[in-house]
Amino acid sequence: MEEILRMSNISKQFGEVFANKNVNLDIRKGEVHTLLGENGAGKSTLMNILIGLYQPSGGEIYLRGKKVSIDSPRTAVKLGIGMVHQHFMLVEAMTVFDNIILGVTHDKSFFINRDKLKKEILELSEKYGLDIELDKEITEISVGAQQRVEILKALYRGAELLVLDEPTAALTDIEVQGLFQIIHKLKEENKSVIFISHKMREVLEVSDRVTILRAGEAVCTLNRDETTGTELANLMIGREMTPSIYEKKDGAEESVLELKDVDYHKNNKHNGLNHVSLCVKKGEIVGIAGVDGNGQSQLAQVATGVLAPEDGSVILKSKKVTKFSPKAFIDAKVANIPEDRNKMGLVGNMSVEENLVLKATEDDRFSKGKGFFLKKKAIHEYALKLQKKNDIRCSSVMQEARNLSGGNQQKIILARELDENPDLMVAVHPTRGLDIGATGYVHDCMIEARDAGCGILLISADFDEILKLSDRIIVMFEGQVMGEYSGKNPPIEEISLAMAGKE
Amino acid sequence: MKTKNNLIKILIPVLSILAAFVIGGIIIVCLGKNPLEAYGFLFKGALGKPSKIAQTLEVASPLIFTGLAASFAYKCGMFNLGGEGQFIMGSIVSIVVSTQTGITGVPAIIISVICGALAGGIWGAIPGILKITRGLNEMIVSIMLNYVATLFMGCVFTNILRDGSVPQTPAVPKESQLSNIADGFRVHYGVVIAIILAVIIYYFMFYTSKGFKLRAVGMNPTAARFNGFAVNKIILAAFICSGAVAGLGGSIELHGKQFRLMQGYGAGFGFDGVAIALIAQLNPIGTVIVAIFFGILRKGASTLQAGMKIPTSVVDIIQALVIVFAVAGTALVRLPQVQQFFRVHFSGKRRGAES
Repeated sequence: MEEILRMSNISKQFGEVFANKNVNLDIRKGEVHTLLGENGAGKSTLMNILIGLYQPSGGEIYLRGKKVSIDSPRTAVKLGIGMVHQHFMLVEAMTVFDNIILGVTHDKSFFINRDKLKKEILELSEKYGLDIELDKEITEISVGAQQRVEILKALYRGAELLVLDEPTAALTDIEVQGLFQIIHKLKEENKSVIFISHKMREVLEVSDRVTILRAGEAVCTLNRDETTGTELANLMIGREMTPSIYEKKDGAEESVLELKDVDYHKNNKHNGLNHVSLCVKKGEIVGIAGVDGNGQSQLAQVATGVLAPEDGSVILKSKKVTKFSPKAFIDAKVANIPEDRNKMGLVGNMSVEENLVLKATEDDRFSKGKGFFLKKKAIHEYALKLQKKNDIRCSSVMQEARNLSGGNQQKIILARELDENPDLMVAVHPTRGLDIGATGYVHDCMIEARDAGCGILLISADFDEILKLSDRIIVMFEGQVMGEYSGKNPPIEEISLAMAGKE
Repeated sequence: MKTKNNLIKILIPVLSILAAFVIGGIIIVCLGKNPLEAYGFLFKGALGKPSKIAQTLEVASPLIFTGLAASFAYKCGMFNLGGEGQFIMGSIVSIVVSTQTGITGVPAIIISVICGALAGGIWGAIPGILKITRGLNEMIVSIMLNYVATLFMGCVFTNILRDGSVPQTPAVPKESQLSNIADGFRVHYGVVIAIILAVIIYYFMFYTSKGFKLRAVGMNPTAARFNGFAVNKIILAAFICSGAVAGLGGSIELHGKQFRLMQGYGAGFGFDGVAIALIAQLNPIGTVIVAIFFGILRKGASTLQAGMKIPTSVVDIIQALVIVFAVAGTALVRLPQVQQFFRVHFSGKRRGAES
């Protein structure tokens, strides 16, 4: 088969970090080529280079054998590369027709010849089986239909190569089948498709070839017919078990948190919970493994009282929770390391010391008369104590928290949460974006808290972190619990498959 | 770090005022007058004699209240643009209490002022309730309620409480009026109340747990919610308090200076209050100072017109420029490049700590 695109030795560096390193990728005419990889493996960076959003730090791109430089998305469109983003780029208040012709330049006339254009679009949509109503507004049509509009938009602009970034993420099962039929049609018409996904079932169903990316590098390219799901999952996760530096423990009998058949938007595969049952015992770390966006955020928010489940029950220290509010959970000694420390954990414009006492201003230690008069001096001394204990690096505890580095911000949150001697701690991506030193510190703190008897629910998209810390591992996929494994010698292969949705 | 921030917070308004005066001076030159002489007139008119200072303070008094009202809500991240409506509703309820119930003297003042504050609080609660229950934009609702209040006031002084043939309400009886601080000076005790209120609000904001939470909600409502604060309750409380402060201001203006409602009563106080709060960087004490500065401009503007035939609109321009510069200045120091500049040039110690 004829080659349409070759990306050769592509590198992209952000500061010191390589998001892509010497990646080679070749796409043939009329094939569906899957890019498979974990979060942060470099799939999006590579595709952003292809459509001209990023410029590569090194390497070349050849289109139909000719070297090209793609300096903007506009150039990419001209060269026949179309992308359907995971989050659609449609103008919601406009009709389908308006969205499709928006910004198209090959019609030179001053007035829009609607009838002519409509006919063209309808012909195109029939050819590919893209069933859409042109006169509806975007807000009136389903997510699946919006995606078809995006595909049609790209085809109308003359795309020969279509990039579909996690196209099934927002679709129902029936819509996914519809999409696969469309992809088939595209193949028949000799268009090429780059399919990005980490769902094994879909990858096996739709692809001709698969390229696996790991840590910014292309591991290998395999033919669909010559591989298996297990092999792909192993290549994607790609690690040998290294013994953890921490001792794994069994939790006590007593459980601090129990979820029974918890539902939250359960039909929503990506941000919902579907019959989730799990428990966290005293003195153990339960790690939730899974690709981002499979309900982990919602799980964390249910476990900290931010969200109320629609069905099922949450039992906190053998008491059934009736009122879901963060305050009630904080009073029950639940600590929270939220996923977005700037947005959810800290008040960036407040000082370090104010953030350290954020939850406790009514405490007798920090104010007289239940918050009637703040003891500024006591607060300051307390802050200095915690700063020293947790090695929070700032020029002064009066400094605004937003000016600190990520690691130091996370230390503020840890210091605040752990100083209350919590019974349960919910930690979401606790080391995301931190350097090695800060990561180690956060891990040590969590182990120390566990050894002091705190039950920890650790949610992380970083599989290494899960393996390193967890005493028990639970895998989540599309809002469901896929399986539970011991943290001592965990079966990595099985877990990787479960993370990709295969039982 | 903290002292540096405070320095910037003072520097921005001061520099804004200076810049506004420079541009105002250029405009005066274009009008063919001497700017220095003009500013001389302006300040002499406002501060030249103790009696003039007293009058300036009196002009500033309602502005202190509406400025405090605005800054209170802003501290909680809520844009209450309805200060004027709350001011007017406070005044309407006060005129009813003071002229229709038959109570007179000090008790009348106290009851009337409390009722005025309550009315302002209720009027302020409306945008708050709509915000937290239905997510409506508080700016639009509060502005619209200004019109409702103004038109309702029109209805009161032309119909319900009309006093004779002139479209105005009867006056607050002499014995229920706020007395002047000293004989011969036209400044009533309302100014004192305003300043005390500013101190109380300052204490509340920075020395109580409730004020702490209110500021936290204002700066990051999501983090506040995750950390267990009752965000909606705090937002509603901020609206009510903000409205009550404005309503109190209306009531005091009525008892101290205007004595009756008529066409144009209260017009512009709400938005001036917003401007004052912004220039003062939302600091309650700063609000008092900026409000007095606005009082100086307003009082001096009339002298300027009488003495040098310079239209008062020149002073309006200066006032507007101060707002523009202050807001721009605040935004400027938040720019990353500017922060970087400060870091490099003013704080060697911090760089050491970072590396």
